[in-house]
Amino acid sequence: MNKGLWIEGPIKKGILDFLNGLLADQKIKAVLMPAKNKGGDSYAWFLMEKNGMLDSADPAPPVMTTQGANVVSYLTKKGPVWEKTAVLLRPCEYRAVIELAKIKQVDLTNLVLISFDCPGAFPLEKYINGDPKKLDEIFDTCLEKQTELEGARNVCTICHRFSGTGADIEIGLIGGKGEGFWLVPGSRQGEELIEGVAGSKTDNLDVRENAISERTILQETKRNNMLDSFQETVMGPENLLNTLSSCINCHNCSRVCPICFCRECYFDSKALSSEADNILQRAQRKGGLRLPPDLLLFHLGRMTHMSLSCVSCGACEDACPADVPVSMLFALAGRNTQAVFEYEPGRSQDEAVPHTVFKFEELKDFETPYIKEYSKEQ
Amino acid sequence: MDEKKEFTPSIIYGLCSWCGTGGSETAGAMHLQYAENIRPFRVPCTGAIDPVYILRALIEGADGFAVSGCHPGDCHFDSGNYRARRRTAVLKSLLDTFGLDSERVWLRWVGHGEGKRFADTVNEFNDHIKEMGGNPLAKRRDT
Repeated sequence: MNKGLWIEGPIKKGILDFLNGLLADQKIKAVLMPAKNKGGDSYAWFLMEKNGMLDSADPAPPVMTTQGANVVSYLTKKGPVWEKTAVLLRPCEYRAVIELAKIKQVDLTNLVLISFDCPGAFPLEKYINGDPKKLDEIFDTCLEKQTELEGARNVCTICHRFSGTGADIEIGLIGGKGEGFWLVPGSRQGEELIEGVAGSKTDNLDVRENAISERTILQETKRNNMLDSFQETVMGPENLLNTLSSCINCHNCSRVCPICFCRECYFDSKALSSEADNILQRAQRKGGLRLPPDLLLFHLGRMTHMSLSCVSCGACEDACPADVPVSMLFALAGRNTQAVFEYEPGRSQDEAVPHTVFKFEELKDFETPYIKEYSKEQ
Repeated sequence: MDEKKEFTPSIIYGLCSWCGTGGSETAGAMHLQYAENIRPFRVPCTGAIDPVYILRALIEGADGFAVSGCHPGDCHFDSGNYRARRRTAVLKSLLDTFGLDSERVWLRWVGHGEGKRFADTVNEFNDHIKEMGGNPLAKRRDT
């Protein structure tokens, strides 16, 4: 069986050539991927056809502007695409797409998901306000050499699912010799598309797999250590509220979150608005009230709703105007709630989101047992 | 210690309208006494209690929140209580993560006929919360 294809040459150009080849052979009809904007300081997603490929299209942009899963969801929410469409996604975007497919916000029919080994991404603000050319260069070297990205976002530095494993086509860079990449099919569909592409066939990808598992172990340790020390800084009401204190209740984090798909959000609803009288009473009870209220309720409530599917993509923190470490909070919450169900978002499409299924016998630790009759002293 | 004894916690008790409320009715019919400072909160099914309700109660002044409903397998809607159990598990592990006293939330099944069990649960929970003291979130103005 064809396990992979090694394509020599510059990476980004090679990927674009591969996609152009697929478009020219009519194997796919369109490509959805980010392209640099005219100003050169940011990226946007474009749906491109054979003759419409933009020169500025970039399969691996150094920043995450719109989360790819949101774009895919926008495209297929009302039904599948009719023609084969390839989508270039970061690993976290790919995992979010899989999560959204489980909750029926994405239709994967006719979509070809392509992902790559991601070295991380710069904070959006840093990129837009910084020197894009210089940052592009740093990113491209890191992409090619697969080294750690200096100045990446916090969640990126502790990312433990950095490879495109699972996608229809995986663009393999880790374990490579540089100046080239593998095309690894992850499904029957991916295999068909790779067939006939010029490159040297490989039957053995052990180098890559070993390199990935080695780095995964390293990153997992790093992630756990970082999250543990972060947890110490947010434990208890005092610390947690101090961390959240700069929040301006704009709810941007939930709006850009791919997993927060509800069209009508409880936290934006009328359920939380009350009359002045009611708010005054609350203030009296608490000896004062921060307005707008429900800051902690919003963050904790959102965690109970979506932390099980949180893929730690960091879109929330990029969108935060007040520098609240939202992505770290959610990474921490996600790690702990997902561990309860041994669930990993985006791992497999067959794994149901824990909120949607149940087992008859489980979670006894979370019930308070009725051990003996309790007699109150009267 | 005296202060603690005087402390009357405010407790919300989420009861499903089939078994939980039934349990409280049976307790009444059996003339069992239980703490008076609980506020029953009747919902169609424990599965309808979104963790956000519990959070909101805890943030806005409740010292404890107990949830009771049909035993597993008895749910009037077939599987609501299993879902409630999953939601409570998520909420409790979140509260643990941020050091917010997950012990202020209890989940214990009470059947329609189990009046004794209902009264015991109320008293036990009430004493348990008394022991824990007031909820620090309730008095914070920056929530």
